[in-house]
Amino acid sequence: MKTSLKRGIRIGFVTGFIFIFLMVIGFTAVGTTMIGNLLGTLDNIGADARLPVINLLVLICIFGVITGINISGKNEDHNWLEIFVGGLSAGLIGGIFIAAAIWGIGSLHMQGVDFRTYLPKLTPDELPYLLFYSTPSAAATAYLMYFFIMTVATALLKRTLSIGNWMAKLSNRANLGVKKLTTKISFKNFFSSKLTIVILLIMVGVALYFLPLVWGSYWNYIMGTVAIYILLGLGLNIAVGFSGQLVLGYAAFFAIGAYTFAILTAPEPHGIELNIWLATLISIGTSTLAGLLLGLPILNLRGDYLAIVTLGFGEIIRILIKSDLLTSLTNGPNGITNVGQPSWLGKVFTDVNYVHLLMLLVLVGLFIAKRLKDSRTGRAWIAIREDQTVAQATGINTFRYKILALLLGAAFAGLAGALFASRNQFAGPEDFTLMVSINALCIVIVGGMGSLPGIILGAFVLKGIPELLRELEDYRLLVFGALLVVMMILRPSGLWPAGKKTSSSPDSDAIIQDKGELEA
Amino acid sequence: MDSKLKKRNLTPRTIIRVLVALVIVIYLGWRVYQIAFGEGTFGPETWMRLLIAGLVVGGMYALIAIGYTLVYGILFMINFAHGEVMMLGTYAGYFILEALAAIPTPTAVDPELTFLNAYPVISLIIAFVVGAVFSALLGYLIEKIAYRPLRRAPRLIPLISAIGASIFLQNAAQLLFGPQRRQYANPDFLTRGTGWMIPVGDKKVMLTYTGVFSLALSILLMIGLFILVKKTKLGKSMRAVAENKQAAALMGIDVDSVISKTFIISGVLAGAAGVMWGVHNGLFNHYVGFLPGIKAFTAAVMGGIGNIPGAMMGGMLLGLIESLGPALFGLDFQLKDVIAFTILILVLIFRPSGLLGEALSEEKI
Repeated sequence: MKTSLKRGIRIGFVTGFIFIFLMVIGFTAVGTTMIGNLLGTLDNIGADARLPVINLLVLICIFGVITGINISGKNEDHNWLEIFVGGLSAGLIGGIFIAAAIWGIGSLHMQGVDFRTYLPKLTPDELPYLLFYSTPSAAATAYLMYFFIMTVATALLKRTLSIGNWMAKLSNRANLGVKKLTTKISFKNFFSSKLTIVILLIMVGVALYFLPLVWGSYWNYIMGTVAIYILLGLGLNIAVGFSGQLVLGYAAFFAIGAYTFAILTAPEPHGIELNIWLATLISIGTSTLAGLLLGLPILNLRGDYLAIVTLGFGEIIRILIKSDLLTSLTNGPNGITNVGQPSWLGKVFTDVNYVHLLMLLVLVGLFIAKRLKDSRTGRAWIAIREDQTVAQATGINTFRYKILALLLGAAFAGLAGALFASRNQFAGPEDFTLMVSINALCIVIVGGMGSLPGIILGAFVLKGIPELLRELEDYRLLVFGALLVVMMILRPSGLWPAGKKTSSSPDSDAIIQDKGELEA
Repeated sequence: MDSKLKKRNLTPRTIIRVLVALVIVIYLGWRVYQIAFGEGTFGPETWMRLLIAGLVVGGMYALIAIGYTLVYGILFMINFAHGEVMMLGTYAGYFILEALAAIPTPTAVDPELTFLNAYPVISLIIAFVVGAVFSALLGYLIEKIAYRPLRRAPRLIPLISAIGASIFLQNAAQLLFGPQRRQYANPDFLTRGTGWMIPVGDKKVMLTYTGVFSLALSILLMIGLFILVKKTKLGKSMRAVAENKQAAALMGIDVDSVISKTFIISGVLAGAAGVMWGVHNGLFNHYVGFLPGIKAFTAAVMGGIGNIPGAMMGGMLLGLIESLGPALFGLDFQLKDVIAFTILILVLIFRPSGLLGEALSEEKI
């Protein structure tokens, strides 16, 4: 009774806060537009150009429903009274919270206060819609009523139909299924029969060949970005996922590759215009060299120290590229334009050829990474990741293997950088911010550390999906940040965890938790 | 463990490291000698100006760095979102000062007087308190939402969560308040660009009021923190938890609440630093916390992470290096970050435990 009241108040408070936050960042406008598109209510807007109020009501009701679902939580042992009290308190608190905010903002707006100076998304065009084109008190009452009724009704309905039990069962089953899929179907089991391999390979090959032809240039661009990030993820995965060295300045190697390629192939500022393929090789070489120069002094540092040193290295490279000191070499903040494009037999690559090339390179990269992982070297890396001291005790030259991991990671980044510069025909310092390093790291972590299919999945999730949700463009980084936190809490081993051969238990979540307990 | 082994055996790598360190020290000494007695590109007044600027910004770095060090000392994690905590403090202080500047308080002498200028000290106190409170609240919430469920996870996981929180907060601020730069409304007596003129040689150097104010306040806060950690019961329990969580829990210390309080204290310091940043520098936007955050972490590592005097010293030192470094090495001023990070890398290579830090046991690194 008391706990359900408490829980209800907390949920109501949080939901109300989230709703107000979304309203102030202007999400209600985007959200209602999306709802309008779904319902088709935006087609016949009257002469007064008033947006249909129903969209906003639906949005409020959706919030109420979500709150109502949350009342009972996962387990369904609550009795009727508890559910009722919880729903009542959540609906009331959340509703009053939202209504008060609406009333406050509305009445200030009516008095002619312009919010745009401080909260730019609360424009005078937007506010009347949020007030249902009516008075603040009427609007506030409407918000309160709809939210309250929907919350209580959903909470009670869910209890009546015991949807919660169904959902719990379903989600359990789904979780199990995903786990089975991701841990049991490792590449080895899946490709046990040669016929399947051949058929699958042919199917994938055909699909990969024909899809870029029919996609159009927009998709090709997105897929190109995803492919470049897969390469980055594969490289960083060798350093972070396989050997456990947390490198936070990975963009530096990416930048070195891109700039080497740009300088060698662009007509300005040096006019070298070297052969493209040779320039790519040199780019890989220079970033590998940079990896060696950075790695030799710092790789005996551990954990967070290594992270912060590499982060500093990334910033150093970016600032140096931008600085006056190297302007003659790198063109400073303007960047290098007209970077060379690949050609074959005298024909310059179209975007379709480009995606084909990238896909080919991703496949080659996957093959290399896979072979490395299964090799003696890969096992040494994993041993170092799991416990460096023990690895050293078993006779592994840890320093050499760590350097090797960083070099290979840098080589991948160099290749990705060359491709990136060549595809964009441009290399500028702002393409290589810390955000790039963080994105690459997140691909590795979100996909699942050390897992190759996870990287492909991670690159699609982190670079592909946001590109597609253009409507939500302003909000994608916000969602991305929130997603990272939620993901780390709910599924820290990644979307597609790497199956661990070394351990007896197939459940990598459990392993990670055990390990964490040991460390704590 | 590596370093201990290496210290006993004189391996070729140790010799190379010592040689490289010697070369760097000799070069540095030569540069300083040259500048002090030879070149004379900069007069003493320039050096004085850079020194003051370095101390002021160093004070703010030190305040933020203490937050990193406190959290790292207890949880062994980089609180990547700490810079964003500072950013929120800057915004909170800004809105308070704007609001106070909008309250008319007419007097007989000046009918257009605002509250901000009628009661400047009270206004500043309100701004700092509100900024610190908001930052503390944010720090508390971040810990509760993003870190607490991950207490037992491997080291990388909370770091990623912290990065996520940082991205979220930065973008939330951009969406809420817009991407434009904003200007702090200071009370008249703290107008930026005014100050005492102190004679250095035959020229004069301006000691800005905001700079003196910021430096004095940061030193005051640091002393307060020092007393809190060394003399109070909370400080004692914080040190106990940092030493050994399990043993502390067995002694009846509520570890979770101590961790929460640690985040609150770091938030207070970061919020104060944020308001200070606004008062001293004037312009800011939602990126304001990013670079100071990274730099302050750098400072904390440089001083020896987990070590509070180390963080203070590291912050001051980093401010000075950043300010004096470009002139000292005859480089462009836009390379100040490069110098700061290079020094960090050098410190970590030659003294991985930081300048004041003792060698940490393996699981803490």
